[in-house]
Amino acid sequence: MKAQCEVEKIKDAIWKTERITGKNLTLPVLNSLLLIASGKSIKLRATNLSLGIEAEIPAKVEKEGIVAVAGSVLAGVFSNIFQNENAELESLDGNLSIKTQKSRIRLKGQSHDDFPTIPAVVGTSFEIEAKKLVEGIKSVSYSSSPSDIKPEISSVFLYAEDGQLRFVATDSFRLAEKKIKVKGLPDIPGILIPFRNIPDILRVLGELNEEVKVCFNKNQISFTAHNVYLTSRVLDGIFPDYRQIIPKNRETKAIVLKQDLLNALKLSNVFSDKWNQLNLSVRPKEKIFELSSANNDVGENKTYLDGALEGENLELSFNYKYFLDCFQSLGADSISISLNHSGKPMVIEGVGDSSFLYLIMPMNPA
Amino acid sequence: MDTKELWQNCLTEIETGVSKANFSTWFRNTSILREETGIIYIAVPNEFVRDWLKNKYHKLITKTIADAYENMRAVEYVITKIESEKQEISAAGAVYGSNKELPLRDLYINPEDNLNSRYRFDSFIVGGFNELAYAASQAIIESPGTKYNPFFVYGGTGLGKTHLIQAIGNSIKDKFPEKKVHYMTLEKFATDFINSLQGNKANSFKEKYRKYDLLIIDDIQFIGKMEKIQEELFHTFNTFHESNKQIIFSSDKHPNHIPELADRLKSRFAAGMIVDIIEPEYESRLAILKVKAEELGLKLPPEIMEYVATAIFGNIRELEGSLNTILCQYRLKNKPLTAVEVKNLLKNNIKPKKTVAIKDVVKVVSEHYNLDENSIYEKTRRKEIVRARQVVMYLLREDFNVSYPLIGQKLGGKDHTTVIHSYLKIKEEIKTDPQLSQELDQIRIMFR
Repeated sequence: MKAQCEVEKIKDAIWKTERITGKNLTLPVLNSLLLIASGKSIKLRATNLSLGIEAEIPAKVEKEGIVAVAGSVLAGVFSNIFQNENAELESLDGNLSIKTQKSRIRLKGQSHDDFPTIPAVVGTSFEIEAKKLVEGIKSVSYSSSPSDIKPEISSVFLYAEDGQLRFVATDSFRLAEKKIKVKGLPDIPGILIPFRNIPDILRVLGELNEEVKVCFNKNQISFTAHNVYLTSRVLDGIFPDYRQIIPKNRETKAIVLKQDLLNALKLSNVFSDKWNQLNLSVRPKEKIFELSSANNDVGENKTYLDGALEGENLELSFNYKYFLDCFQSLGADSISISLNHSGKPMVIEGVGDSSFLYLIMPMNPA
Repeated sequence: MDTKELWQNCLTEIETGVSKANFSTWFRNTSILREETGIIYIAVPNEFVRDWLKNKYHKLITKTIADAYENMRAVEYVITKIESEKQEISAAGAVYGSNKELPLRDLYINPEDNLNSRYRFDSFIVGGFNELAYAASQAIIESPGTKYNPFFVYGGTGLGKTHLIQAIGNSIKDKFPEKKVHYMTLEKFATDFINSLQGNKANSFKEKYRKYDLLIIDDIQFIGKMEKIQEELFHTFNTFHESNKQIIFSSDKHPNHIPELADRLKSRFAAGMIVDIIEPEYESRLAILKVKAEELGLKLPPEIMEYVATAIFGNIRELEGSLNTILCQYRLKNKPLTAVEVKNLLKNNIKPKKTVAIKDVVKVVSEHYNLDENSIYEKTRRKEIVRARQVVMYLLREDFNVSYPLIGQKLGGKDHTTVIHSYLKIKEEIKTDPQLSQELDQIRIMFR
């Protein structure tokens, strides 16, 4: 192959694709990027057999061809070329030579015969702004279980209801749900995107400022934008019927300012013990909303917050880390906290924002 | 046609044609799903593999299969989950299926009172061996805190102590919903206490337990060496007793035999009701087996039931275990088991009939009475040794069926009439001397 392209463009494409190259796999060619020059573009392809990506950049192709080079090497090369100019890529005897105005580079290539194709997903599809999709996934993904013991919850769960795309993740101690309105949603019974693929998906989609086409079937999901195609395996499993655990009645309710609570939680952090225990005491009759934490080696603290309280007096303990996690997803200034007796989870929502819901199970009162 | 074998042969063939890396990446976890009118469906784990096999290895696969199986017309690829992965997921799924709450805590255990709702009197089998304990517990449920307080149940392992005391808790909860019931093991009580000391929250610890109306503490026998815990339990106990709140203990020993138990606790335990659960007799074992088999949905012919009831004695937990073994085998074979099969199956579960070397009995008894082992064999009439020797003789005769002459011969050449005399003497004394019968019980525990 022989082709010319802009350094900036190929840099960007390498940045997108290189992270997805497979590491420690039985097939060594998977750690390389496949460069395909044809028509008026160069395509960069990478896969780890769970995720696959193809990024396309415009190029002046003089001679079509394919070459595979180690992804990390290519990334190392281009991250240190700063001239904003054109680069000429040429394959010579399976090696890749890169010419810019001021450098001549030769990279050892690998046999590209064994480089796999990336599945083109055939199935139901819909379109959504990349920003919305990223927001939805980001709002919940931190709640996923990082462990593979229960694969179905080591995932972000997507389904459609009432014209909304719902994103759910749980690690069985807390749960986050985000709803986003999308026009023209098809029926989505449920897709489980593996948690391990989430960071890469966010990284690629986060860069985009356009609509992406999402296409899925029971094995695979793909995201197509105008110059990048990303596909991920989906998990086969049944996400727990989480709606059963959302408490229906709420014995105690509190509305507090988000910033106040955030500061109080950060203060609790100083005093937290090894279980990250935070004690919450809500006493509506006395108008007291108290957060306390104690550590035998440090000391203890109690913080009182102003807020609108109603219902029964309650005392429960939570892991403050779980509490803190959800703040990134709460847009509103005030947040509403609902509590129940008897081991039911705490429900956190933004006031006036019903799109996000967060549950935390209380800690065993030891 | 055996598809498994066919695919295995094909894989061996293919392996020689492709590189090792390629083979293990693409052909591992594949199998032939089925064969239909000459079309072979190959199961692949995901779309990457499917596309790649289709694009790259289709020819090779088709050719290899065609060589081995002439009726083949075409090859199709189907994405299926790999067997091992599938099992794992369905197992995890099953947990979810029956679990409505998030699985933060154990499935059956109510976080408020720690009671396991499976333990109820509906599933509790009453027989001669636990009649008294059952009757007493019914009286307690009738009016908690007034009749037998504290209620102390003791008995060997696997005889249903935990079932009984949890069932009391559940019944009281049903009958008096306003009462706060709490079940825990002694170990939990101890850790709670230690944690409260570390956190300087001794007061809140006291408060925590004293707010309950019924406290059930399981496995109290471990309290022996924990002096501080004994003290704390003593105070907790007093508060409960004073305010007429029921308190229930279980242990595998009589309070008098719990080593290093403070006298004040001993006497307090004795103040209420102490009952023991002994090993179930044959009829009870049979009844238990019938109920448990029904629970498991296992239909067994009466002769097998009777066999199991005779063969497995002592422990209800072992009875359950043997039923599970039978059930498992039954499902595997998918046909009723014969008596011989059951016999073979349970061979390992059956304890050998009690046979103990005479020397061992002497050793245990002399240890119990703090005597030198050899003194039992000596010709001496020191009172404490005579007593111990008589106990040995009694136990050998009563529990191990050793003949009188043999006992006499082994214990220093005594006449068999001496042995008979000792045996009868102890037998009579047990009736009038509770201390002696307790001693014997304790010695017997050592033989288990």
